[in-house]
Amino acid sequence: MAATLPFAENEIRLLTALLRARVRFMVVGLSAATLQGAPVVTQDVDLWFEKLGDLKISRALQTVGAAYVPPSAINPPMLAGAGAELFDIVLRMDGLGTFAKELKNCIEISLGGQKLKLLSLERVLASKIAANRAKDRLTIPVLRDALATTSAINSPNAKKRPKKKRIGSTN
Amino acid sequence: MKQRKSNRPTAASIKRWTRRLMARMQSVLAANPQADADNVRHTLILLEQPPLERLQKSLIRGRHTTICRK
Repeated sequence: MAATLPFAENEIRLLTALLRARVRFMVVGLSAATLQGAPVVTQDVDLWFEKLGDLKISRALQTVGAAYVPPSAINPPMLAGAGAELFDIVLRMDGLGTFAKELKNCIEISLGGQKLKLLSLERVLASKIAANRAKDRLTIPVLRDALATTSAINSPNAKKRPKKKRIGSTN
Repeated sequence: MKQRKSNRPTAASIKRWTRRLMARMQSVLAANPQADADNVRHTLILLEQPPLERLQKSLIRGRHTTICRK
């Protein structure tokens, strides 16, 4: 039997609902890094919202059967309901500027006809260096090498290759 | 009868892909000698896949690692 994909229809629906409602947020952490090609593993998708109390968030989540659970004495702020299990809310990003400042340098990818914003690989690395937890220290060399690789192949001096369908490419 | 073209990679196309991958890896390593060759190779391979596919793989492996640690 085929295994269920962790990031499936419900998760995509949840993110596109937030994007359609014009909620200002971005994907951060290792999930943002992996979306940009870094060979790292992660267990969740961290979301950084500009205004966590924004009513647009709750309204958008309601449309897909999910909800925003505000922080209390016993729980941090979280998303609950359909497709919310995978997502974590990030309250603080070590070593980074304000949300608005980081948004200017974010990377965009297509998701359900919308543009999903990602914290750039360079800034993910900066945040991991600043956080400097044991688990961050394990990923720093990998992120550094991934950044060197993406920078090298995107540099204007990189050799242009002929456009050919490659193995493993579904685009 | 018209024959359907197979999408399956041939030995020749795999060889070409490997050669191209190695050339790109060498060029990245030449510019970044401190970089780890495996990290560079894995990044180059992942960059050939769509972003959501990269995330799926990362999440699947991340969860598998957790299960193995338990």
